[in-house]
Amino acid sequence: MSRTDIKTEVEAFLTTHWDSEARRPREGTSRDFAQKVFEAGWAVASWPREWFGRGLDKDDSKIVAAAFRKARAPGAGQDRTNIAAASLMNFASDESFKREILPQLLTGRLAICLLYSEPGAGSDLASIRTRAERNGDVYVINGQKVWTSGARTADYGLLLARTDWDVPKHQGISFFVLPMRQPGIDIRPINQITGDSHFNEVFLDNATVPAKNRIGAEGEGWKVLQTALAVERLVMGEGAGERRQGSSKNNVVSLIDIAREAGQLQDPLIRQKIAQATAYRQLNALNIARAKEELAQGSSSPIMSLGKLAMSRILHTDAAVMTQILGAASMLDGPEHERAADINYRTANAYMTSIGGGTDQIQRNIISERVLGLPREVELDRDVPFRTSRAVTG
Amino acid sequence: MTMIGMEERAAIREGFARLLSDKADDAALRRIMATESGHDAELWKAIGDMGLTGLLIDPAYGGVGGSIVDVEAIMEEAGAALLAGPLLSSAVMAAALISDSTDAAAKARLLPGIASGETIATVAVTGDKGLWTRDDIGVSADRNGVLQGAANYVLAANVADVLLVIAKTGDELAVYEVDPKANGISLQALKSWDSTIRLSRVVFDAAPATRIAGLDGAAVERMLDLARVALAGEQAGASRRIFDITVEYVRTRVQFGRPIGGFQAMKHMAADLLIEVESATSAARAAAQALAAGSTEAPVLVSLAAFACADAFHQVAATSIQMHGGIAFTWEHSAHLYLRRARVDAQLFGASDYHRERYVSALEKAA
Repeated sequence: MSRTDIKTEVEAFLTTHWDSEARRPREGTSRDFAQKVFEAGWAVASWPREWFGRGLDKDDSKIVAAAFRKARAPGAGQDRTNIAAASLMNFASDESFKREILPQLLTGRLAICLLYSEPGAGSDLASIRTRAERNGDVYVINGQKVWTSGARTADYGLLLARTDWDVPKHQGISFFVLPMRQPGIDIRPINQITGDSHFNEVFLDNATVPAKNRIGAEGEGWKVLQTALAVERLVMGEGAGERRQGSSKNNVVSLIDIAREAGQLQDPLIRQKIAQATAYRQLNALNIARAKEELAQGSSSPIMSLGKLAMSRILHTDAAVMTQILGAASMLDGPEHERAADINYRTANAYMTSIGGGTDQIQRNIISERVLGLPREVELDRDVPFRTSRAVTG
Repeated sequence: MTMIGMEERAAIREGFARLLSDKADDAALRRIMATESGHDAELWKAIGDMGLTGLLIDPAYGGVGGSIVDVEAIMEEAGAALLAGPLLSSAVMAAALISDSTDAAAKARLLPGIASGETIATVAVTGDKGLWTRDDIGVSADRNGVLQGAANYVLAANVADVLLVIAKTGDELAVYEVDPKANGISLQALKSWDSTIRLSRVVFDAAPATRIAGLDGAAVERMLDLARVALAGEQAGASRRIFDITVEYVRTRVQFGRPIGGFQAMKHMAADLLIEVESATSAARAAAQALAAGSTEAPVLVSLAAFACADAFHQVAATSIQMHGGIAFTWEHSAHLYLRRARVDAQLFGASDYHRERYVSALEKAA
């Protein structure tokens, strides 16, 4: 099938089933549409036909994703963006489990949460201590996870747990798809510095997971995770790109508007600060646009890995400039002082980006090691049996 | 728009990079720095032979009909090598100004020479305050085209055959052509902190001049915006080069039994600088594309590039010295040459605060 044929076919599919003006299916619910996308093989076009795809090469499957993007239709390109599905496809060994769960994942009928971080394993994720012990056809799980969003609504959790304590920390981890609706799982919301509760702690007390839900071999969990994280970074990078396209202008307007509203827009010092804050955002947007162009031309670009670090500077700077514009009023809070409340919220929420998903400091390590080729960090417990490391012995 | 395709642009850039690494390496640069003129005539001829002095000039006048996108690309290479000489002042500023005029005679008289490189031209834009603004023009022309006053910080005037002077005529600005060696004109060479850049103050005392028709204050602003984008390209290219030199150094310099690039104090500085380097490149190129396309975003993007690239280059060059440590405190090491260029570039055509103000004003207008 030629490239033109693919394009024709996918466009015909979209014309028939999707109203791109109204951004909704021509008939039925969005769930019905997701099912049609899945059945047509567009959800994961690069996967083999016997595995819900079309067996297309990378360039052809990009054509599919591009056509969906153009029509603003959901559901395509999940071979690149659906973290859980991609991990399952690549690493799960139990065929019946894959056949059961992948269709549900690819049609959005399953909600997934991430059970990675622990109180003792933040930046150093490989020192997790949640334990998975084999007992017949199941593993019994005990431990505690943190920073899990969507835990209450999730059907499954992607779980990282230790199956071997006598090998170095990266080698004793296994990866599971844990059913979330069972006794032995206790979910408690975390109260954040913003006043929100987006995240939860998840306590695992003799929870069980069927052995067939293990993704990859025992001890290969770290490798599976790296693949999942690579997908996540890609999705986040592109998402950041698209989000900022939309929000760049809003932000420009808002800093200028906030200054005008506060009677500070003619202050030359404030204008300098607005320029700098806006510049950080616009420069990041230009970087992402250029990276995409370079990627499209086939050359690799280090820029995508800079996005998160750049974004945390943008958000902290925005909040600081807004605070400066508002002056003494920024001491106030609550519904009576909407502007101050918003700025104070932004100030606190900026840490979500500069800490969450790897702190700025970890990001700088990663950039300098992976992009610039500087030496890796010294890791004292990298090669010792996990049982003897300070993560365990204290 | 440019008559040069993307592949051709890449080839031109590559050829120029090769020329610079052959003929304008650190040793060559230091030789030129020590000369009185600060100009390498042989290298200049080679640059002219490649067509780079005629990038912005119409083929009808012996140029190659390129655009600011092409100029920005080669300026990245020029910046990387800290190229000395009149490329910016002659091939960008003077070429752009005359090309923008309605003066067929001036074009026929001046452009072919500038395009080939045989004529070196420069533009006197600012007065003694060095603001590069309309209010800071120190030369006036009377109705007979006789110039009086002074222009300052004129680039490469010491090697120029032709001097274009922005002068006040009543409320408007006009552009005059003079021979810098003519009567009534005196050139005072200024010692620059970056001796790869030669600056002069030029005094006009009843100096007769030829007016170039069809150029006003708006034309001067258009020329300055092109110059700012070219300079932004230079800054982006220069910051990338000194950054690469620095990363290579910390990767190989060993202290405490390991490469110093393994210390987080170094790694974090390097990661932060990489954002600056990439941002400068993106900003310079986006501004060039917007200008070339005549996009409504051009005023915002040109101002952004002007301060973002100046600040990035300065931060990268300054931090590079710190990251190198003692070796970069020596005259022989090239790091200080990048800092010198960064500090001089940061003043040319308006400093960052000025461009930040223009940027906010442009954003207000765009909103």
